[in-house]
Amino acid sequence: MKNIVVIGGGPAGLEASAQLHRLGYNVILVEKSPQLGGHLAKWDRLFPSGIPAKDVLEKMVSQINGVKYFLEANVQSINLLHKSYNVILNNGITVLADAVLFTTGFDLFPAQKKEEYGYGIYEKVITNADLENWFKTKKDNRVTENPKRIGFVHCVGSRDEKAGNRYCSKVCCATAVKQACEIKQEFPDVEVFCFYMDLRMFGRGYEDMYLSAQKDYGVRFIRGRVSEVAENINKELIVKAEDTLSGKPIKVTLDLLVLMSGMQNCSEGTKVAHQLGIANAGNDGFFETKDAIYSQQHSTREGIFFAGACTGPKTLPDSLSEARAAAIEIHNYVKGIR
Amino acid sequence: MRERILGGYDDFVLPFMTGMAFILIYLFIGLIRIFRHMPAQDRTRFFKSLLSPSIMLKNAKDIVNDCLLHVKIFKRNILLGYMHASIALGWFMLIVIGHIEVALYVPQRNGILYYPVFFRYFVKQEGALTLKGSFFFFLMDFFLLIVLSGIGLAIYKRFRSRALGMRRTTRPCLADRIALACLWSIFPLRLLAESFTAGIAGGSFLTKPMHWLFSNFLSNDLHILPTWWAYSIALGVFFLALPFSRYMHIPTEAFLIMLRNAGIKASHPRKGFAEAEIYSCSSCGLCIDACPMNVNKRNLKYSSVYMIRFLRRRNEKKTKAIADKCLMCGKCVAVCPVGVESCNLKRAHRATRYNTLQYNYSYLGNGSHPAHAHADTQDTPDILYFAGCMTHLTPSIIKSMEEIFKLSGSKYVFADKDGGVCCGRPLLLAGKEDAAREVIARNSQLIQTSGCSKVVLSCPICLKVLKEEYKLQGIELLHHTQFINSLIKEGKIKVKDGGESLVYHNPCELGRGCGIYKEPQEILQQVGELRKGEYEGKESICCGGSLGSLTLSYEERGKITQGSLNALTGCNPHKIITACPLCLKTFAEKSPVPVMDIAQIVKENIYTNTYETYSL
Repeated sequence: MKNIVVIGGGPAGLEASAQLHRLGYNVILVEKSPQLGGHLAKWDRLFPSGIPAKDVLEKMVSQINGVKYFLEANVQSINLLHKSYNVILNNGITVLADAVLFTTGFDLFPAQKKEEYGYGIYEKVITNADLENWFKTKKDNRVTENPKRIGFVHCVGSRDEKAGNRYCSKVCCATAVKQACEIKQEFPDVEVFCFYMDLRMFGRGYEDMYLSAQKDYGVRFIRGRVSEVAENINKELIVKAEDTLSGKPIKVTLDLLVLMSGMQNCSEGTKVAHQLGIANAGNDGFFETKDAIYSQQHSTREGIFFAGACTGPKTLPDSLSEARAAAIEIHNYVKGIR
Repeated sequence: MRERILGGYDDFVLPFMTGMAFILIYLFIGLIRIFRHMPAQDRTRFFKSLLSPSIMLKNAKDIVNDCLLHVKIFKRNILLGYMHASIALGWFMLIVIGHIEVALYVPQRNGILYYPVFFRYFVKQEGALTLKGSFFFFLMDFFLLIVLSGIGLAIYKRFRSRALGMRRTTRPCLADRIALACLWSIFPLRLLAESFTAGIAGGSFLTKPMHWLFSNFLSNDLHILPTWWAYSIALGVFFLALPFSRYMHIPTEAFLIMLRNAGIKASHPRKGFAEAEIYSCSSCGLCIDACPMNVNKRNLKYSSVYMIRFLRRRNEKKTKAIADKCLMCGKCVAVCPVGVESCNLKRAHRATRYNTLQYNYSYLGNGSHPAHAHADTQDTPDILYFAGCMTHLTPSIIKSMEEIFKLSGSKYVFADKDGGVCCGRPLLLAGKEDAAREVIARNSQLIQTSGCSKVVLSCPICLKVLKEEYKLQGIELLHHTQFINSLIKEGKIKVKDGGESLVYHNPCELGRGCGIYKEPQEILQQVGELRKGEYEGKESICCGGSLGSLTLSYEERGKITQGSLNALTGCNPHKIITACPLCLKTFAEKSPVPVMDIAQIVKENIYTNTYETYSL
């Protein structure tokens, strides 16, 4: 039986493992954290239609029966032995794998790097992940009862050369619109502002969600970047931005500011990829695929495959499709089909 | 000592005299040009300075220190300093003693330009050597030896510059090579010529033994003349090549020192004062190693020395590229042995190109301002706190400063709490002089009418422009490092040693820009264990975030940041401390260890509890 190692137990890793297992391979799934599901496990509901993340994750996990997975495990070393890869995990397990799939996903951009937005400095500044966690658990002292005004800052650490990330993180626009509507559901009287550069509502149903946010929820969209955030004596936030449509600087006082942190390549995954010499990719930090259009799942090395956000920001359906595609590509590779 | 050649003339002096006449005319025309292109007030200023004894004294001191002794270069590297000083001082002394000899022995030839240079050819020693004669012979040989040792070092440096403390030197151009070849040959030829004539004109410990040596196999006196011809030709060609070579700094540097001491600054990138600076650049290349952009080898071509070379050749395209690329960190100015203020030239060059955009600053208006809230009342706070827009991007500094003000019991007004007007320095750096003048006028008015006697600033970029361009009579300008240091000294706040090792990054605008080095060091020694980085004081290198550069890409900036961080973290500190919001922001993104502003670390280590203070 052929061994396949899948690194990363997020949506892409789970889906690929399930598919490969069904194709008859011995799949070993490695996950660094104590639970499966990656970022999905921390999310409450999913855009565009608000499906609970828990339901999707449960479905995925139910499909991996028979897959060997290790939690709180890291790849300590990986190297090529003849035609297969010798993978050593930190829990002492060694696997001789015929193929290795990277589904290492992304890290959220650390919002404290944009110090001018005050994350970690002002009490009432949180990130998209923090808000999602609040939706899920309703536990966060920073989100107070009956807020009057709440703001969302798009593109935090995305499309920002100064922050080192020039690319668009793809999912934050839709996430912000979704979260803005959800916050209105929680607090119907709150005024919600979204500060955006462009709204990239590319997917099916996204534009409807955006229209509904304006029409049904009354979310105010302001085109312009936030320049700086200050705190007054009541711990309220004073946000200064430019409304580029009216050409005027604006200033609003908010009770909560949500920063839409973008994606960057997973640092743990990059460390593993370094050992194979495939980490130093484009200057955006994501892994380079063999070909930008035709061979999206192949790395530049034989037997190493990619799926999901490790090759650039992706939506959840994108990652799942890639996972299935990767399973087929790996199958073809192991069977020697070109 | 008696004249040997009747009429005191020989044809071999012609090459020297041609070169000499050429260079004198060239310098005279250059002088007229510089004065003509200078703004009238600068011209008056210069002539007035010549009447001031204190400035004249400073001129004399600076000329001796910089042009003859090369003290600045000695401080950098002893060998390099010796090389420059030996040639400059030695040559100068040869000229001076040559003139004294002429005045003493053949006073009828006083004032003939070539006579002291070729003195030994024209005279003959008669009778026994007097003590006075042998003294001058000794001096002449001694200084010739000094110059020769310098030339020897110079030749060695051409092949191994690293031995003299320079990693990289400039690529010489054709005129440089010609002048260099002449310079290298002038003094060996002089030694040869004087040795051949030592039998007739006399000599000392160097020329006499050489003469004995030569006379053993070259007994004919006929070979005297060709060597004197060669010596004269080397001098003549050197003077002819001089205006087109790097050695033009020899005659112009003293003039530049006088202009600078008169308080004149460049107002045009090529004309007037700038021309004096351009010709005073010795093309030594010390600025190449200094430039922080050179962590990328391909950026070597953007060093100040090349900018000045292209300005001199009037190559607009290349000058523009360098002027726009520069970070304006001022390190090249700090290390320049001639003191060419190349950043001012670059700024002036930008101003000739970018000062055209129309701005509308009508919104600045004359509206009310928090600074005026107390202006008319009795309890006007003493201190105006001006954070600046960069500090507003690093709110942790503002929070710390507010805390320090509170704990020290200082009454203050926060001038730009609710947003302020730009200080004007970024506009000035971008060449937008007119726009800068407008914001400067508005801010000056705000500060002057606030009734405060002290302005405390958190951003050294603002501080520099407030110091240099604002005319704030009677108002003290302090960076927060100076302010905090005085609070500690006056006992208004008490700090403790946090037990961490710290390394201090000296921001360009604070250190080289405003000359503030001492206060941050004093503070940091009290709050932790202060370690030394690779570059300290005025040698500090840019963080890579400078507002100065108009064209440097983020990738290139990233490499500069990395280089700067490597230099700081070599001593394994717990934290990097800086005193500029821009440096803080730039480093925080890439640093492996936490980066903090000095205000933050002070706030962390301040005694807030009175009990603690008493128990000290």
